[in-house]
Amino acid sequence: MTTTEVPELAATMRSGYKDYGQGEAAVRALDGINVDIARSEFTAIMGPSGSGKSTLLHTLAGLDKLSAGESTIADTTITSLSEAQITEVRRKYIGFVFQSFNLIPSLNAKENITLPLDISGTKVDPAWFDEIISILGLGDRLTHLPAELSGGQQQRVAVARALVSRPEIIFADEPSGNLDSKSGSELLSFMRRAVKDFGQTIVMVTHDPTAASYADRILFLEDGKIVDEMREPTADRVLDRMKQMGH
Amino acid sequence: MFRLAVKSVRHNPKRLLLTAFAVALGVSLVAATQIFTNSLSSGFSDLFDDIYAGTDVIVEADPDAQSETEQNDDPFAISDGIFTADDVTAVGNVEGVSIAAGGIQVMGAVLGPDYAEDAVGSDPLTAGGTGPSQIFNWYGEPAVDQSTVVDGRGVEADGEIVLDIDAVENLGYAIGDEVAIATDSGVETFELVGTVRFGENNNLQGATLAYISDAEAHRLADDPNYASISVIADEGANLDRVVTRIGDVLPEGTRAITGEDKAAEQTEALDDVLQYVDIFAIAFGLIALFVGAYIIVNTFRIIVTQRTREFGLMRAIGVTGKQIRSMILLEALVIAIAASTLGIIMGYLLALAFAGLVTMMSGDIFGTLTLPLDAVLWSYALGTAVTLIAAFMPAIHASRIAPMEALRESATSGKKPLKVRNIVGAAMFLVGAGLVTVGLYSDFDRPYIWVGAGAVTLVIGATLLSAQILSPLAGLMRPALTRMFRVDGKLAANNIQREPRRSSNTAAALMIGVMLLALVATFTESLKTVVTAEFATTKADFFVSGAQGAVPAGAIDIVESLDGVEAISSIGFDNAQYDGVTYSVAMLEPETAGLMFEYQSEPAVEDLGTGEVYIAPTIADLGVNVGDEITLTGSEGDVTLEVTGELGRSADGDFWVDFATGEDLMGEVQVVQTMVLLDDSIVADDADNADNATTISEQQTILEEALAEDFPLIFVAQPGQLEQLANMFIDLLLGVISALLGSALVIALLGVANTLLLSVTERTREIGLLRAVGLKRSAVWRMITVESMVMAVFGTILGMVLGVALGSALVLSLADFGFDGVTIPWIWLIVYTVLAAIAGVLAAIWPAWRASRLDILQAIAADG
Repeated sequence: MTTTEVPELAATMRSGYKDYGQGEAAVRALDGINVDIARSEFTAIMGPSGSGKSTLLHTLAGLDKLSAGESTIADTTITSLSEAQITEVRRKYIGFVFQSFNLIPSLNAKENITLPLDISGTKVDPAWFDEIISILGLGDRLTHLPAELSGGQQQRVAVARALVSRPEIIFADEPSGNLDSKSGSELLSFMRRAVKDFGQTIVMVTHDPTAASYADRILFLEDGKIVDEMREPTADRVLDRMKQMGH
Repeated sequence: MFRLAVKSVRHNPKRLLLTAFAVALGVSLVAATQIFTNSLSSGFSDLFDDIYAGTDVIVEADPDAQSETEQNDDPFAISDGIFTADDVTAVGNVEGVSIAAGGIQVMGAVLGPDYAEDAVGSDPLTAGGTGPSQIFNWYGEPAVDQSTVVDGRGVEADGEIVLDIDAVENLGYAIGDEVAIATDSGVETFELVGTVRFGENNNLQGATLAYISDAEAHRLADDPNYASISVIADEGANLDRVVTRIGDVLPEGTRAITGEDKAAEQTEALDDVLQYVDIFAIAFGLIALFVGAYIIVNTFRIIVTQRTREFGLMRAIGVTGKQIRSMILLEALVIAIAASTLGIIMGYLLALAFAGLVTMMSGDIFGTLTLPLDAVLWSYALGTAVTLIAAFMPAIHASRIAPMEALRESATSGKKPLKVRNIVGAAMFLVGAGLVTVGLYSDFDRPYIWVGAGAVTLVIGATLLSAQILSPLAGLMRPALTRMFRVDGKLAANNIQREPRRSSNTAAALMIGVMLLALVATFTESLKTVVTAEFATTKADFFVSGAQGAVPAGAIDIVESLDGVEAISSIGFDNAQYDGVTYSVAMLEPETAGLMFEYQSEPAVEDLGTGEVYIAPTIADLGVNVGDEITLTGSEGDVTLEVTGELGRSADGDFWVDFATGEDLMGEVQVVQTMVLLDDSIVADDADNADNATTISEQQTILEEALAEDFPLIFVAQPGQLEQLANMFIDLLLGVISALLGSALVIALLGVANTLLLSVTERTREIGLLRAVGLKRSAVWRMITVESMVMAVFGTILGMVLGVALGSALVLSLADFGFDGVTIPWIWLIVYTVLAAIAGVLAAIWPAWRASRLDILQAIAADG
């Protein structure tokens, strides 16, 4: 699949501020973030604990509201939308992969994958579904309940679910965080492939340099600010950069 | 350990809130009943104190000397005169006696000024609706009469009357008016010469009090003697000695007792009656608590599951399983005490509200509402016992949690097979069904114990089995729910299926209440069918009966003498003893009885002669046969009768005799009902009435007018009207029982809400995830609501199946009493199902609100 010549922006944030608590106990999690997420790019957000990387992901995805500033998804400004409208945006444009508990325990793998489509009442595109399944190697696991799948398989089902509705952007929060290194690298390879082959946009939060090295671009976050950016990363370069930040 | 338990309760009060409320509701019913009957008792106790306050000694028939058939628990029953004027004089001459006054009560009712107009066309419910009347002879001494004149003067001559101040106001009389009294011999009028206050506050518990002259009282009572003698002793006399001395001059079978003792005795007798009210109402409280127990089991089970890791950790650091068990039971105890306290407060308010309602409708009959120690103790005992017993199984469960569980990732319990549950359930179900059958169909002394124990076992068995039914049922409903509600419907079905035990226990709590409702409805609907069939077979055109007591001979004469009356037939009922056991005796007029009803007897009722008796199957079952001679004991003594016939069923009395035999047994026969057959000159209301003949309804008015002047309390009803009335009473019965079961149903709904609430907590992350991938709040709400409705409707249907089955068993076992088939109350069943669905929606409100409001980020991050 060919990528677009001029990458459009899948998501943006302008002067994003996020404060938790009030008065003396107030904590500024995001401190004037300006970021553009280009379409068909795999972006990783890195930073030490408490740097605000998860908050950035959540506010970009519309799971959390900014205290000040503006963010968009697919040219829609979500900061001014109501809760119901944001739910609609999430359903239409966004896919999620979390670190754990990605699946509904009572639904089998196939039902979990098609969940977003079932919620919106959209028909599944069988060809697309089959393609995802075969790439992720889930063909013989479709009727299994989550409890019957390994950790790696569960995360692959979660990725398949994120991909199935061809969302504008997928947000992944430490997707390989709970996996052993082999399953983790498999999962990240799939995500990489989704970007390269299908032009999927992915934003991933991680603290693992190896995981981050699968991305096209890494944003380094510290104390709620973007302090650096790296393109074409390798694990070693990321590690060096992280050491500079004192980790 | 106790501190840990209290902390645990305090740490998570919300999850226990509904549980505590469920216990509190059950307890409140028990407490309210006791407070209520206690205050009723104290109200009457005050009345009795007033009645006997001024009287030092009462001389009356000795209750121990009365024959058993005559003995009556009713403290207001009118007794026959046994003291002659000479006896009164003799008592008056006893040393230490200042005044001895003979007392006599007249059977009658004080009527309103417009009684004659009111009587025509009135229905039996409002006829003579002035409350019971108490009419006595006036003595003129406040200590004897217990009343003091307020306005006007006391009774001084024949033809005069005084009424209590409230009655004058309620009935609308003024001094100088003519007051009408209905007696057995017709209506008499008296001149109102004064008003009186009874005791201190005219506390008459709603009755009308009237006094007439001594001579008139004897005349109206048709009795020259006095029923009792009130004695006022000399100042400073020793009452005990006076009682002894009076005893020496009294005739056989009478006694003297101090006023104080008499009041206490009456209160005690009344308390015995109220005890039955207590038992009846407490039974419903226990049902509510039983339902509450289901909720407690469920709550603790869920809490234990949710805290598996916590308990595992405790075990890992060295806490023993026994300590964990004690901790949970202590938690249960803390809840039980808090909930019982709340229940007692709620019960008090409930009693207060109910007492207020009754007072509003029927006058002040209550003493001060107090909180009796008994009620408090019982409430705590029951509340605590139920909570602890219900928490026991989950506590055992928790104590068996292995330390390893602390390390497991997921807190939800794995799927355990239902096999053991099913086997135990099936066994209990069968044993329960067996016990109920035994209770209904065999001749044990206390069949209700068998039936009750059987029903409880059956219900628990059904609860255990219902998990097996519910799980595949939810699976079956999944496609339909998915089609109707898309993915949230599917998830709802999944959730029910995921925890079949929890879901079915929740549904079963509702099942119990609905089962009882369906049982009662089946019974009452079948009863209605019987009533309808009964009235359909009658050939009588009118039924004449008294609104307050028997139909007097004078009234029967009036009916019989009327134009258009072909025949009349009267029936009386009384009790007599056979072989030491009390049975009902029907007294009828054989020559005309057959004209009114097609009685099932062999030979026909016309053949019943004087000195003969027909026996019902209940008596035939004792081994009595046609041709035997049997001895019945009535209030007049023993009578030996020849058995000459058998009845087809027991519904019309155990023994049938004619009026002459009845008089030998009981003295004068009190006619309960007189049936009237009209001749051909009267036509049906809807007949082609070309020659302008009198219609049945016109004839009814004629009859009512003929009776109105002298017998305003006698009413005339057509079979259809009587049927309507009977059905109304049956519906009222269903209504009262439904209201009493209401609390059990409310508790069951709280249970549904509680289970959902806890499972929402448990599924926090799942719901967060669903919201993250785009499920709207409204869809989350709908998911919980569908879950709730499925559980509620399932419980209701289970309950209805069981209720109709048990109700049918009950009806069939009563075939002897005229039930010839089961009528299934379809309309009620549909109503219950619809209500259950609505209730499901209501029960889902809180949990659904919580679920839809969950903060997505927190939900995802929740410690699951």
